[in-house]
Parts: sequence; C-alpha cells; structure tokens
Amino acid sequence: MLDLLLRRRARSLVNTLGACTPYEWARNSAFAAAGAGLLCGLHVGLYRVLVYLSSVELIGALLVWKLTAMLFLMTLSMVTVSSLLTSLTTLFYAYDLKFLMKAPVSLRVVFLDKSLESAFFASWMIGLVLLPFVLALMRVLHLGAAFFLSFAAVLPAFLLLAASFGIAFTLLLLYLFPSSRTRDVVWVLSSLSMTVMYGLVRFAQPERLIRPDALKIVAEYLNFLQAPTAPALPSWWLARALESAAAGRWGAWALDAARLWGAALLVYAALVWLAGAAYFTGYSGAQEGALRKRTHGFAVLPEQRLLGAGRRSALLWKERVTFLRDVKHWSQMLLILGLVFVYLFSIRRLPHNAPEFWSLIAFLNVGTAGFVISALGLRFTFPSVSLEGRGWWILKSSPLTVSQIMRQKFVFSVFPTVAVALALGAMTTSFIGADRFTTWISVGALLAVSVVLCGMGIGLGALFPRFTVENIHQIESSVGGFVYMAASLCYIGATLSILAWPMRMHFLAMMGSPRAWDWTAAAVAAVSWTILSAAAFAVPWTLGRRSLENHEE
Amino acid sequence: MIEIEGLVKRFGSHTAVDGLTLTVASGEIFGFLGPNGAGKTTTVKCITGLLKPTAGRVRVAGFDTATQTLDAKRAMGLVPDEPFVYPKLTGVEYLRFVGELYGVPLAAMKPRIPELLEMFELAPWGGELVESYSHGMRQKLVLAGILLHDPKVLVLDEPMVGLDPKSARLVKDIFLTLAERGTTIFMCTHVLEIAEKLCDRIGIMIGGKMIACGTVPELEAQAKTRGSDLEGIFLSLTGGAEYSALLRYL
Repeated sequence: MLDLLLRRRARSLVNTLGACTPYEWARNSAFAAAGAGLLCGLHVGLYRVLVYLSSVELIGALLVWKLTAMLFLMTLSMVTVSSLLTSLTTLFYAYDLKFLMKAPVSLRVVFLDKSLESAFFASWMIGLVLLPFVLALMRVLHLGAAFFLSFAAVLPAFLLLAASFGIAFTLLLLYLFPSSRTRDVVWVLSSLSMTVMYGLVRFAQPERLIRPDALKIVAEYLNFLQAPTAPALPSWWLARALESAAAGRWGAWALDAARLWGAALLVYAALVWLAGAAYFTGYSGAQEGALRKRTHGFAVLPEQRLLGAGRRSALLWKERVTFLRDVKHWSQMLLILGLVFVYLFSIRRLPHNAPEFWSLIAFLNVGTAGFVISALGLRFTFPSVSLEGRGWWILKSSPLTVSQIMRQKFVFSVFPTVAVALALGAMTTSFIGADRFTTWISVGALLAVSVVLCGMGIGLGALFPRFTVENIHQIESSVGGFVYMAASLCYIGATLSILAWPMRMHFLAMMGSPRAWDWTAAAVAAVSWTILSAAAFAVPWTLGRRSLENHEE
Repeated sequence: MIEIEGLVKRFGSHTAVDGLTLTVASGEIFGFLGPNGAGKTTTVKCITGLLKPTAGRVRVAGFDTATQTLDAKRAMGLVPDEPFVYPKLTGVEYLRFVGELYGVPLAAMKPRIPELLEMFELAPWGGELVESYSHGMRQKLVLAGILLHDPKVLVLDEPMVGLDPKSARLVKDIFLTLAERGTTIFMCTHVLEIAEKLCDRIGIMIGGKMIACGTVPELEAQAKTRGSDLEGIFLSLTGGAEYSALLRYL
C-alpha cells in the first residue's frame, strides 16, 4: 500500500511538471539558476575559510575537521528542530489526512507516508547547503570522487536519523497530551529551542577557532581542537566517517557508515512500531478545537479610538487580533528576537581598533541590520496577504479595494518594523561609538530601508499570493519569498553603494583632507537614493496590487 | 436586481461561462442548477467580483460591477461554496468585523448580532474561536453575516450544505421573507427539491451555457416531459439515460 501512496506523489509531481507553461518553466529555471548561484557563492566563501584554516601551521588539519564536526552538529540540531515543526503539520494537520485516515490503509502506512514527507521537507534544503561545504573540503584536501561517494552514501542516513528525533518528539508529545493546545506548545517550545540553540552557538564564540590567542593557554586550545564534538551524537559519527574516508581508512569509514545506517533504520523502525499505538490518539486529539470562551463587549475598538470608525480600523483590529492569537507568530517572534540579540552581541564583540574603523562598521551596519529587517519582513510582512488564506473571499467580496487592504496591511507591519530598525540602528551605533554624521546617516538609512522593505514585502506578497498553503513556512520558502529576499538584498546593497559616496567624503574630511566634500556628488547621491527607494517601494506595490486585483483561485 | 449581459469567463482555452444573459428581478428567488463543472460557481464569482469576466457586463442593484465595484459589493451578500472564516476570530468577532466592513453602525450591531446568533442557535458558541466550529456552524455564521447588513441582493452558492433540518427550514423561511420584502436572491443548488419549492424561476446550465430557464411548468414545456417533477426535467435536459448501463452493472 505504501508504494501506492508514494506513486500518487510521483504522479502529482509529474502532473505538476507537465502542466507547467513555457513561462513557468522559464521562471522556475531562472530561480533554480539563482539558487545555484547562491550555492556557488557559499562554496567560494567556505573554500576561502577552509583554505585559511588548513594553512595554519601544525594544527591546520585539526581546525578543518573541528569546523566540519561543528557544522554537522549544527545541521543535526537544525534538521531535528525543523522536522519537529514540519511533522506537526504533515502528521497531524495535512489536508489529505481526513481522506487517508478513513481509507482502508493501515495507520502505520499512513505514518510512513507522512513521516517520510516530514523528513524530506525538514532536511532537503539543509542537506543541500552541506554540498558546497563538502565540495570545498574536497578542493582544499585534494580528495577525489570516492570521498564524495562516501559522503553521499552516509548523508541520507544522517538526515533520516536527525529528522526521526524531531518526529519522535512530536509523536510522543501529542500521544501524551492529545489536544490542539499541545500543537501551540510545540510551536513555541521548538522555536524557543531553536532560538536558544542559535544563541548558544553564537555565545560559544566559534571565532576562537581561528583566534588561538582568545583562549588562555595553548594546551587548552589544543584540547578544544582534539576533543570530539558531541561524540554520542550522529554528527560526530558522520564527521569521523568523512575523516576516515579522506585518510583512505575505508574500514573505519565502513564502521561509522554501518553505525549511521543501523541507527537510522533502528530508530525509524521503532518510530513506525510506536506509531501503531500512538499516532491515532495524537491525531484524534489534535483535531479538537481549543475551547475557551471570549467575551466581546461591543465597545469602541482601540483602533477606532486612534483612527476613527470605519473599515480601516476594523481591518487593523482584525489583523492585530488574528496575529496575536496565532502561536505560530509567537514562535516566529522568538526566532527573530534571538537573531536580534545575537546580532547585537556580535556587534559588541567586534574588536575596536580605530575610530575610523568604528564609523566604517557603523555604516556597514546598515547592510547587516538591513538584512535582519529583511528577514523580519520575510517572516511577517511578506506572508501577510497570503495569510488571509481561504478566507480571502471575505475581503474580496466586501466593499474594499485591493489598495485599501494592502495599505492596512502595510500600516500594521510598518510600525513594529520601524521600531526594530530604530532600536538596531541606535543600539549598534551607540555600542560602536560612531560619530554624529555616521550615526545620523546609518539610523536614517535604516529607518527608510525598513519602510521600503515593508512596502516591498506587501507588494511582493500580493504579487505571489498563496492562499491555500498548509503552513507559513511554505509561504516563506515559495518563489515569492525568494524574490522578496533577492529584491530586498539587492536594494540594501544598492543603498550601501550609493551612501558610500557621502561616507567616503566624510571620512576624507575626518582625515583632514581639504575640499573633501563635493556637494554636487552628495546631492546626486541623495537624489539617486531617493529615486531608488521610491522605485523599490512603488514598483512591487503597483505590480502586486494589479496582480491581486486580477487574482483568480 | 441582477442583470447579466453576454457574460463570458475563460480560463486559458477552457470557457467556463459562455455568453450568459439573465435578469433576476427584485424580490425574485432565482435557482441556478447544473451538473458539476457547469459554470455555476464561476458565474457566482463573476457576479460578486471574486473573478473578472472575460467579456460581458454584470449589474447588481443598478451598479455596474466593473465600474461601480464598491457600490455593487455594498449592495450584495455572498455565501460561498466553502464557508472559510478567520479561524482565530470568535463568532461574535467575525460578525462585528463584517458589520464594520459594511458600515453597520455599532448601535445597530449591538442588539442585532446576539439576535442573529440566537436565531441560528449559535449563541452558546458565540465566544468560541471559529476554528472549533463544525462545517454547519460556519455555514450558519456566514449566513448570519450576510443578514447583518441587510443587502438588496443575496448571492448564495449551496447555502443549505451542512445545515441540520431545523436550520435548513429556518434559512428557507428567511429567504422567503426577504424576497417578500424585495430582496433579490440568486441561489446555486444541487438540492432540486429546495429549488422547486423555493425558487420563482430556475435556470439550468451545462458546459457554461444556460440551456433552459423559467418557472417549473415552463421548464417542463422546454424539456417536453409532461407531469415530471424538477428532477425528471433536470435529468431530461442534462442527460441521465447513460446511467442505466452503470446501474445494471451495480
């Protein structure tokens, strides 16, 4: 029966590909090429890091393998947490579960089908990102195809094992606490664990790896390098297997490969066995709605107090209430909070060598903080239109224009985003101790960038709406999400390039250069940046509005 | 009233609605029948502004839906084929939101929303999130929503699906009362019995074209089936003889 279920997936994929128009083929090929370009860029960066590490005298090889083990440990934890979230949706809330559950199919077969789907979606992207690293490793250590094959042979086992941990946790939790409230708890806990994990990795200061002077004594540094990285975990088995393959110790490689595959199959088999007893209890409980009475006193809405009565206030009120009641947004907020804290920590840990250097960092901060804001937009602003979901008919059939709907979504997003931008800009320039001009230009640029990215997020969200997805991650990882990230990063890059002119003049003036300021060039920079920002806001907005007005689903 | 002139809706090379022309008068209940895929829901979506027609014109309560979109929408109430409602709002909050969208004054909503919830037997669940509602409860909530702003035209796509017999009876009585007061009702349904009892006129659509339209006796004459009920007329017009071979197999 499992083969039948898997065949339906293959058939769906073939049908989807077969139904693609030439335009869709061209579009998908362009995005695939852009993705390949990103992976190539990552490969170049990782190659340079590995070249640097391997060139360190005496301990070069140790450093390379230590980094490999740390990377695999991070991969393990990311796949585990990601599968925890994915399995929650696919195993308990997927659209086709009602059909599968009432079909004459064994519960274990349904579990196999759904858990394999969870494992695949939780790991394919993270697994793909390992590819540029392994290729860089092969180039640096001059390894051949045999090494790559040895990696490809053990990677699926490693990913399956990592995903199985997350699936097992979700399965047991919903078995022990079968209610939709557990789903909310899992969302928040898993996001919290992701945030904590991310924070721990950063606060462990991995930069010490390439700065031996940061550790007190050399012996401590060598111990750190030689010690296994979490030896009880599969990530260490994978790292050790690859180290053996690189050294041509094929017997040792086979032992670790057997250990990985054995553990993966054993854990997965135990999971399938457990599912026979636990899956249905969890599934049944998860279908129950959260019963909690709320009273509505028909008072004037808080938004109406601010903006007056009318549709605008009602839309904002609906946005606020539905946003805050959805725990998936809380989990996203926790992740973003973690990202912001780690970012601020990293800025604080920067070596302070010279005032000019601090000011330069404060200016470049526009780029990195802009990246944080763009990540924030990808999580909250871009999905905002799609999150209307199948209830889109309510707004579309009501006496509202698409522009009004988009405007209210923009208003709802822009204030928190600007607040984060202001906090990031003000705190980082204060940590760095940037001069007044740099502070004004970076905080001002960040404020403008945050407003533009909000407009861009709403516009592109309207251009690529996905009203029928099962979870928010599908919106973020869609083609539209990719376009948003690419467009926002291009805009931030262009902003930095343009604002670099006045910054250069300012640095020259600080160094005492006479006639540092060319006011014509400064005016050209100001006008260019204004035009760029207006276009980055208006073009996606207009395209999105037109597209949403004609959207047919 | 609803006036449709030469409505065409194409999806790529497929024509879902092919030159539909129809007028539904004020106070009339019009039933729209047809097999699955006939183009009924597409017509509803074109009338309510959820889809843009490829050609033709639709006027609702005197407003052109292409040029006076907001006025037309303000005059309409829609019950879609699937009653998806924001899961994180309560029943009361959903009705309040709909009331605000259609400009119903707060003073009018305050007594009206509890009344509507009471009428549809949703009052005990008015404070619960919609995500905990059954399909029938959501359908009743959407029906309550369209009654809140007292529209001149009701466009209903399978309004009885999921309703218990008592609620179905209530909804029928509500439609009859509203029609008596002058509300225009355009209703797609597969329940021929309801269409026969409730509708003043019935249109039958196949392959995007309306093949018959009129009162039940007029349809009987068009189908040349004397003494048949609506089911007989419908099967005669849309084809049913081909099922006999299948029935023998079963």
